[in-house]
This record gives sequence, C-alpha cells and structure tokens, in this order.
Amino acid sequence: MTGLGILNPAGALAAVAVGVLVALYLRERRRRVVPVASLFLWRQLPADETERRRFHVDPLFLLQLALLLALVGGYLRPYLEAAAGPAAGARLLLVLDVSASMQAREDGGTRFDLTRRRADALVGDLGSTDEVMLIAAGARAEVVLRWTTDHPHVRDRLEALEPLDTPTDLAPALELALGEAAARAGTRVALFTDLPPETSGLAPEALAAVDWVQIGRTDDNLAIASLRVEEPPFHPAREATVTVVVRNYGHARRDVALEARVGDELWTRRELVLEPRAMQSVPLAGPPGGGVVTVTLVADDALPVDDRAVGWIPPDEPLDVLLVSDSRALAADLRTVATSIAGARLESIDPAHYGDALPITQRTVVFDGFVPDVPPAVNALYVLPPPGNDVCPSARRLEDAAVVDWEAEEPVLDGMDGLGGLAVAHAAELVTPSWGTTAVVAAAGRTTFPMLVAGERDGHRTACLGAELVPPLASSDGLPLLLLTLGTLRWLEEPYGGRALTVETGLPRLAGPGAQAPVSGPHPGALRIAGDPAVLLVERTGVYRVGPPDDERLVLANLFDDRESDIGRDGAAERPATAPRSAIVRAVRAHEFGWWLYLAGALLLVTEWLVWRRRARA
Amino acid sequence: MASSAARAGLLGRLLDPAALARYDRLALHVRRGMGERPGDRRFPGRPEAAGIEVEAWKSYAPGDDLRHLDWNALGRLDTLLVRRFTAEREVLFHVLVDVSASMAVPARDRKLETALELAMALAYIALTGNDAVRLALLADDGPAHESPVLRQRASVRVAAERLAAVAPGGAVGLGAALEGYARRHPRPGAAVVISDLMMEPAEVERGLHALRARRYDVLLLHVLGAGELEPAREFTHGILRDVESGATHPIRLTRAARARYTALLEAHLEALRGIAERTETPYARLVTGAAVDAFVTTELARLGVVRRR
Repeated sequence: MTGLGILNPAGALAAVAVGVLVALYLRERRRRVVPVASLFLWRQLPADETERRRFHVDPLFLLQLALLLALVGGYLRPYLEAAAGPAAGARLLLVLDVSASMQAREDGGTRFDLTRRRADALVGDLGSTDEVMLIAAGARAEVVLRWTTDHPHVRDRLEALEPLDTPTDLAPALELALGEAAARAGTRVALFTDLPPETSGLAPEALAAVDWVQIGRTDDNLAIASLRVEEPPFHPAREATVTVVVRNYGHARRDVALEARVGDELWTRRELVLEPRAMQSVPLAGPPGGGVVTVTLVADDALPVDDRAVGWIPPDEPLDVLLVSDSRALAADLRTVATSIAGARLESIDPAHYGDALPITQRTVVFDGFVPDVPPAVNALYVLPPPGNDVCPSARRLEDAAVVDWEAEEPVLDGMDGLGGLAVAHAAELVTPSWGTTAVVAAAGRTTFPMLVAGERDGHRTACLGAELVPPLASSDGLPLLLLTLGTLRWLEEPYGGRALTVETGLPRLAGPGAQAPVSGPHPGALRIAGDPAVLLVERTGVYRVGPPDDERLVLANLFDDRESDIGRDGAAERPATAPRSAIVRAVRAHEFGWWLYLAGALLLVTEWLVWRRRARA
Repeated sequence: MASSAARAGLLGRLLDPAALARYDRLALHVRRGMGERPGDRRFPGRPEAAGIEVEAWKSYAPGDDLRHLDWNALGRLDTLLVRRFTAEREVLFHVLVDVSASMAVPARDRKLETALELAMALAYIALTGNDAVRLALLADDGPAHESPVLRQRASVRVAAERLAAVAPGGAVGLGAALEGYARRHPRPGAAVVISDLMMEPAEVERGLHALRARRYDVLLLHVLGAGELEPAREFTHGILRDVESGATHPIRLTRAARARYTALLEAHLEALRGIAERTETPYARLVTGAAVDAFVTTELARLGVVRRR
C-alpha cells in the first residue's frame, strides 16, 4: 500500500456537520496567547493541550463525532493505493559546468570534452523509459533540455553544447537541480565541473544528494588579468597609455611574448619572463592612434580564452564648447583652463545674446544658471538650472552640499574617482527627469538629492549639474568640481557612434541609450540586451557591434576572472551522493473502502443508543 | 511604520553625541573583503605596482615604472630591483539587520532597538574610519531594503534616519535572505549580520556559507532577549504564537518544562557557536538590557573585531 486518496472531494462539504457538532459543545474558556519569536525550541517540549481545549469532552460527544466522521468519510469514497507492476522509470539530471575554465586542455581533450563523454556514457546506461534532463551552469543556470526519454536527442544536445567564456556560479544550477529532484522521486543528480564542492556556495547537507564529478588537473595557464586604458581628457590618442597585467597561474617558469595591435596595425611586442604564480604589469605607451586595441599572449597554454583582451583608445577629441553665462569671471576662468588643453576652443556669450548665436556650431553648449526656451540641437550641460524649468527640473536652492554617493558604472563618470571629497557652497536640488539617470548623489542638511543627472534627450546627450561653478575653478577647493565638470564635458563631446562599452563576460551591465539591434561579432547570439533600462550581457569574449551601421556602438568583452584562469586542481575526484534517493514511483491500483465506514457508522449509532439508554436509566 | 514620536526618540538616541563620542577612536578590523576603491585600509600580501608603504621587491622587467627602481639595491647588489607596495583600499561594510517580526518580541526586551543601536554604532565606526557602509534591512525573503553606499562622517545622519524609520514585520528565512543578498552583491566586502537567530542553526549556516562563498569577511552578532533566556519572566502558561508563521503551541511552564527549555536553548547557542567556529566567523551575543557601547568596546574588542586606531 502506498497512499490514500478520495474519489468524491465535493463530499468534504459534509464536514460542516462536524463543525456544527463541535459548536454545540463549545464552551467559553479564556485563553492566553503569548507571541514568541519562534516556536522551533518550544515545539520540542510536550504541548499542554489543556491550554488549547475550549470544551469538555464526554464519551457521548466522542461517539457522535466518530459517527459523523465515519459517515462523512464514507461519502468521500476513500481508497487505498496498492503498488502494481514494475517501476515506471528512473530519472537522471545532468548538470554541466559550461564556464570558461572547462575549455582547458587536458590529456584526451578539453575538460568539457571529457565531461561530454562521461555524460554520454551515463545516458547510454539508462533504460529506454528512463528520463533525462540537462542543465548548463555558467554565470547563470540554463535548462538545456527538459525531462525527456528521447536519448538520441539528449546526445545531440550534449554534442552541440559548448563551454562559454564566463565565470562560474554553480549555486543557482544546483538549487534548480535539487528542486527538480525533490519534486520527482528517484531522481539522480550528477554534476560535472572542475571545481571542488567547497566552492558551490551551498551547505554540505544540500550537496549530499549530488554525485559530484570533478574533472581537470593541469595548471598550465597564462592569462591577461586586466587591461586598463588611460587617456587624459581631450588629449590626442597618441598620449594614451595601456596597462596590461599578465599572470602565470602555473607552477613552472614561462617565457611568453605579448603583442598589442591597434586595429590591424601592430603596435608593440614585448618578451616577458614570468616566474611561477607571478604577476607582471606591462605599461604600453605611444599607440599609433585611436581604435580597438587588442593585446594577445603568444603562449601555447592550456586555456587560450584568457590569452587575449581588447580595449578602446578614444580618437582625438579637442574640447569645443560654447559657454552661455552672464558671469564674465567664470568665462575668463574657463578660458584659462581651456588654454591648457591642446586644440581646445571655448567661446562665451551672454544669455541675452543666445538667440544671435543660433545655430550653434560648437559640439557642446554649457548653460550657466540659464535654460533657453528652445533646447539647442547639440549636446548640452545645464549648470545650476533655475527652479521651474522643463529640461532639468529642480526643487530649490541648498547651501553647503557634499557628495555622498555616485554610480561608478555610469558612462558619464568613466575614469573618475574620489568624488567623496567634493563639496560646494551653493547647490540646486535636482529632480531626476524621465530622460536621465542619477550619476552623483549629494547631501545637504537632512536632504539627499541628485547632483549630476545625465541621459539622452531629443537625440542629444544632456547633463544637469546642480552645483555652482565659482571662479577660480583651478584652486585646491574647486578642483574636484572642475574635474567633474571636465569629465562630464568629455562624455558630452565624445563621438556617439564610435563609443565603446567595455564589459566582462557573464556580468550584466547597463547598456545605455541607443539602438539595440542588429548585433554582429564573433558570436552574435552570445550578446543579449533586454529590460528597461536596457541591460547587456555577453557570454563570449571579443569585439561586437550593436545597432545599424550608421549608429553602431562597440561592445568589447573580456574575461578577467581569477577563479576561471587559475585552472590548477589538486583534488580532482568523484564524490558520490551520500543521501539515499527516494523510492521510484510505481503504478498504483485503488481499493475503495467507503462501505466499511458506513458499516462502522451503523455500529457507532447502535453503541451511542446503548450509551444514551444507559445514562437515561441512571 | 513606527510612530513619529517613537521614531524621533530612537533617532535622538542613535545620534546621541555623547554615545557616539565613545566610538571616535575605534576602527573595525577585517581580515579580507578588500574593496576596489582606494582607501585607508592596508592589505598586506597583495603587493601592487604603486602605493605608499613598500612591502616587497621584484626583479626589474621592461615596462616597470623606473620611479620605483631601488637605486640603493642597485648600488649595493648590482641588481635591478623594483619596489612593490602594500595595497590600500576601502572596505565596504554591509550591515545586514534582521527586522522581521520576531525582533519585536518579547516586546519589553526591545530587541530591535538594541539591534539598531548596535548597527548604528558599527556604521558610525566604519564611516568615521573612512570606510563605506551599506545598510540592508532583512524583512522577508525578497530583496532587502538597502541604502545606497554611504561614505564619510557626513553620512552618519542619513544612516541614523534610515535605521530610525524601521518598523518590524515580515518573516525572514535568514539563509535564503543572505544567499539572495550575496548573489546581488557578488563583490567581496565585510558583512555584519545582526539577528536574534531564533531559527534552525542550519538556516544560519546556509546564510554564512553563502556570504563566505563570495569571500565576504563575516561578523555574526546575536541579539538575544532577556525574556528568551528566562521565559518565566514573560508567562507561566498560555498558547505560544510564532509571530512570523502564526503557528501555535500550548505550553504550561512547569519546573521540568523550564529546565528542558533551558537545556534546548543552551544546545541552540552551542550549535551557533559551533557554526561560527566551523565557518571561521567571529560570533558575539548581546543580551538586551546590557549597554551597547560596553558590548562594542569590550566584547567586540576582545574578539579583535574592534581596535583602537
């Protein structure tokens, strides 16, 4: 016998009769309810049911209750399930690590090739009615194939599955697998990975039901651990520097060549000697020009995916600004700053003559304490916008504000740090408009408010800065605000179409405004953009182009992950599950026993009559 | 939401200058959790190409910054050596406070207020030590109510206002809540978990494992109500109702029941200590009624979590 069921669930309504009976016997009894934080300790103490009891029970009540329950029970048409026939089938749930380190070459193929063979052998051992499910575990979990008995199809999917260029997060995939196993009795969960169980992020008890197969041994890997491009704002691309950090994850000394190219042109080649487990920083200076810089390690190591990294050197962008301000001192001060920037062009006019300057020929216009009725047809920065304007809504003026937080990932703050030291005497309490996002948050008194808002409005980049620019800007007090202003101007002036977004594989990142299709690159399907605001996720390294040809953006994807590149493993082994799997579900046969309950009801009725008669006589 | 009068009273206590002044010369000690922004924390063992304090030397390689070439070594040893410097970074302290309904009982123990005062003390020490703080209020299994990252002493009031606005409620599965938090904030930092830990120890261990798996430096602070240590103070009989699940259990607090409860509580506390040892997590218990500042300056100092600057 395996379980109990009912054929007439609607008959449960008859249980109302039990409630009526109980209500008749109900006695008012004062109860005291004590709220406690948790019952998990108290439940281990025996319950004192007299505390809960609200009526006194006598034998006649119990007989009547049993009679009612027997009648209601019979009306429900209950049945018992009996096992019949052979097992319906076993289930195998395969979880495959598809992170970058599974591309590492071992004797006999890559780690993923070895995994595929092992998984294929497990599927081959199954019977024809046994079900299989496939889950891929990369930076996120993905169900590759739901439960199926079509084993050739499972093998096809295994053959088609390839590891990605992402870090590993096994926990979501394992939780998904264990949830499936809990819902389907008799499921075997087998995980193939090159990581030990301690890195799963799950408690050891949770892993007891998992067959953990750890694959891989070699530590022969050199990797580019980071690539950083630095270019002073508005300076020629030739003044940019690139810092590449190369690391030897192996336990043997390695000689390696590092090649850097800008576009297709060879920039430089360096010969490096890396001691075991050593790291070396390689600064590269004087690139031939702007564009995509590709750095490659010429090393025949076990894991090629981290031997190449790409970055972006912005093309030459001299400063070209029109300042609309009634402050001659500010105009003179900014002009002084501009003279120190090669090729910079800064013109200033009074707000009253703004109409005469139309159409604007500069790349960017800066409005100081002034918002025109008709926004310009170029990118614009609004400094200390007055309350009541539609472009940069602001609530009121505040005194003595200081920056308390900033979103380092916002493109407008690229390359900027140390904003925590920025304080201004006069500020505008900005309100984040629908077209923009908050990049810098400041506090004044008891209020926090957006100090810098940036976004795209009517097809042009627009930024609102809620801080007053007070000459001299190049003083020690004003320097953080000057840097923030110049950084914002750099973002406003950079060529929109050629803008490059540098991302790490497997890590979601805000895509920013702009077209989202089509996508071209080495693996177009590995770049996904979704959500509002749009979030971008890349699972393969390389250079991608997003958007139509006349408005495309570059997405440069790299793998910089210590855990993926550090591929050496000491304890590769198989760890079978220690928890027993629950019994496999078998076919069942039902036996109704409702009539026996009716018979019991009749006997109880007779007994009750006898008890009542005895009491009546007494 | 807490009444405005109660909120103002709590805010006053959290920002009491005399109380905060006791923490002025203290700093929080962490073993890992190196952040990405430059800061005052030194992390020896990970030498970098630039910095202030020399930590190691390495052989010169083409491309190394010549400013860091050790000319003395060249003169004495005729060897090109380049100085390497101790990494200096900011640490982001994630102060995770359990504000579920269980923190509100027993009512007269004021567990939640004690937890908030403790959170405020640690946030104040971190902010005045030029570290960053993110406050996260765990009220249910969904995303925590999180503050933005707070920096500098100017953010102390913002932190206090966020804490003073807290009202207890909801049911927290600490394991799931910490797992979710660790997933949302995968970059390592220091996590201070403040809770009454009135749950199965396995749930606590699950949460700690999740944080440790993300390379967090974790501090587990247990706020225990005096009425939970001595339940006879609260009742002698009645139907106990779990404020989070609503489940009930009738109890008569006889002498034998009291002894059994005390033994179970001791076993629970021992299990928590065991989990803390297994996961190498500093663990300290604060019984309500005890002074929070004394707890910070003595018990946490004894654990090595708090040190003089």
